[in-house]
Amino acid sequence: MSFGQMFTYGMSAVFGGTQFFMVVLAIVLGTVFGALPGVSATMAVALGLTFTYTMEPVPAIVFLVAIYCSSITGGSITAILFKIPGVPSSAPTTFDGYPMAKRGEAGKALGVALFCSAVGGIIAAIIMFVMSTPLSKAALAFSQGDLFAITFLGLSILTVLDMDHILTTIISGLLGLFLACIGQDPMAGVSRLTFGNRELLSGIEMIPVLIGLFAITEVFKQTNTKKRLSADDAEVDTKHVNTKMPSVKEFLSIKWVILRCSLIGTVVGILPGAGATIASFMCYTMENKLSKYPEKFGTGIIDGIAASEAANNAATGGAMVPLLTLGIPGGNAAAVMMSALALKGVQMGPLLLVNQPEYLSATFITMIITNILMVIVAMGIAKVFAQILAIPYSYLGPIIVMLALIGSYSEGGAVGVVVMVIAGVFGIVVKYMHLNSAAIVLGLVLGGMCEEHFARAYLMAKGNVFKALFGTPIGAVVMTACILMLLSPILRKFIKKPAKK
Amino acid sequence: MFELIANVLLLVFMVFSMFTHVLEAKIPKTYMRNPSNLMPDVWPKVIISLLCICLVINIFKIIKKNKGNPEFTLKAFCKNSVGFFKSKMLIGMILVTIATLIIETVGFVVTAIFVLFSYGFLLGEKKLVRLAIASVLIALFLHIVFSGLLDVTLPRGTVPFLRNFALFLENLI
Repeated sequence: MSFGQMFTYGMSAVFGGTQFFMVVLAIVLGTVFGALPGVSATMAVALGLTFTYTMEPVPAIVFLVAIYCSSITGGSITAILFKIPGVPSSAPTTFDGYPMAKRGEAGKALGVALFCSAVGGIIAAIIMFVMSTPLSKAALAFSQGDLFAITFLGLSILTVLDMDHILTTIISGLLGLFLACIGQDPMAGVSRLTFGNRELLSGIEMIPVLIGLFAITEVFKQTNTKKRLSADDAEVDTKHVNTKMPSVKEFLSIKWVILRCSLIGTVVGILPGAGATIASFMCYTMENKLSKYPEKFGTGIIDGIAASEAANNAATGGAMVPLLTLGIPGGNAAAVMMSALALKGVQMGPLLLVNQPEYLSATFITMIITNILMVIVAMGIAKVFAQILAIPYSYLGPIIVMLALIGSYSEGGAVGVVVMVIAGVFGIVVKYMHLNSAAIVLGLVLGGMCEEHFARAYLMAKGNVFKALFGTPIGAVVMTACILMLLSPILRKFIKKPAKK
Repeated sequence: MFELIANVLLLVFMVFSMFTHVLEAKIPKTYMRNPSNLMPDVWPKVIISLLCICLVINIFKIIKKNKGNPEFTLKAFCKNSVGFFKSKMLIGMILVTIATLIIETVGFVVTAIFVLFSYGFLLGEKKLVRLAIASVLIALFLHIVFSGLLDVTLPRGTVPFLRNFALFLENLI
């Protein structure tokens, strides 16, 4: 499929029939969900799943991608107006957004946030589009051992990203892999770890687990939180917010900030488990160090907002790269999307772009259109945000529970609902055990794939484990990198000691 | 203390799983004939073994970290647990569990009204009449939108009149 054909297909996927209406609905839902504290981007995507059960695969991915991108942007509204990030990745936006809002520049801060989000998202979408085709073509030449190594890399990276809690991250990843073992094994079809439960023979239902972990757990957590946000809490006049786009002069002053953070945000988004939150914090810190006036960061300057918002939106595009090319989700939201599409018989990975390139074009065009449209939608939402915020959590929380119930029931029937509740309670236990839920999800999503690739590589290497893992140059390099990452806490001690001497 | 207990329980569960449920059926002979095939129990056993090692290290780490901490006793844990049993979170968990148990029998609409009203009340809504009206309206709205507009299959219930009512709602659109 040529570029022109892909572009045309992407446009028809977004604008064809009632699809455009669904995209606008997804943007409104995503922006509102993202703006509401207690509703993360992943939860927004998980709740969005409920709307996609009867959709064809392409409209479903268009709908979910639109929700994902706009929810990250929506988070900046509360971050600027209330100093409470709607999504965790908007936390650095509060550092400069809120002081600006307190000075009476809320409209300007929102304008910069929306503009930079859009630019970051569009740059990431272009990078995703350019990278995906050659990457998936290269991935087609990968052996089973290489594919295992790359899947394993997705899990190993998590340990480096959370250096302070390496052990609990490894436990979480292994727990996810353990859960993925439940059911019939992928090669011989022998049942494992079902404890005599027939419902578990086909493995753990992914969607109810993800909905439980990301939606129900959050509602349970909020049930114990007494403080509730209201428009009256703000020290800012939230009732008369007029979003102002940055002037040409302002844009020129932050152009390099936007470009740098968009590129770094995309790269961070590509790393499995990293995602928007790490991207925004990393870029905010980096821009603070690179700035000619670092002392002004945190006092309310547009550079800080630009860094955070360009990076977190760029990470959404980055997260789609490993999903589309290798079938490895770049984050929790991508994992939810992957599970939703797997239900429709779509197998993410290198073959997807060869057999069904329309997925890439649909995703690309959706990201571009969403990033443009969400500026308009978010401007409107910011105007009426005080009214939206007037919806008390005593109404919002139960509605989230019901949407989660619908989503789980549609996927797994009554059993799915039970799985969802168990996952919700498990999410609370995970929190108190200080485990990493992102690692559990990645382990669960990648577990089956990891085992299958390894079993095939083992068979091809005629039972030689070393040859299966290190038999090809790519496999050897990636596996060595994985081992170094997993041993990094021990290696760090050895590296630090001579340095001290 | 909860962290330690949870880690120990997880370790016990893993050891139990390893020795009893890793393989629950016989491996087909045709599969066993090829020595290059990865046996179905190998992968889970490797995962469980690694998990057990990590859990043991983590248990020692937790004990070491909390040495001398007066709160790190079983007595203090029991005392703190009382707070959880009185918490709104537990009631929330119970409410959602009840919803999962009744949804097949009473159907979506009644379950939704139950969850929306009871959870709303739990979350501190004081205007009960408004909450009750909103619960009914939201439940009907959700059923009509998802079942009627989006063709999502929702449970109609096994009680005849509730089932008929659900069918009536679905036929509205």
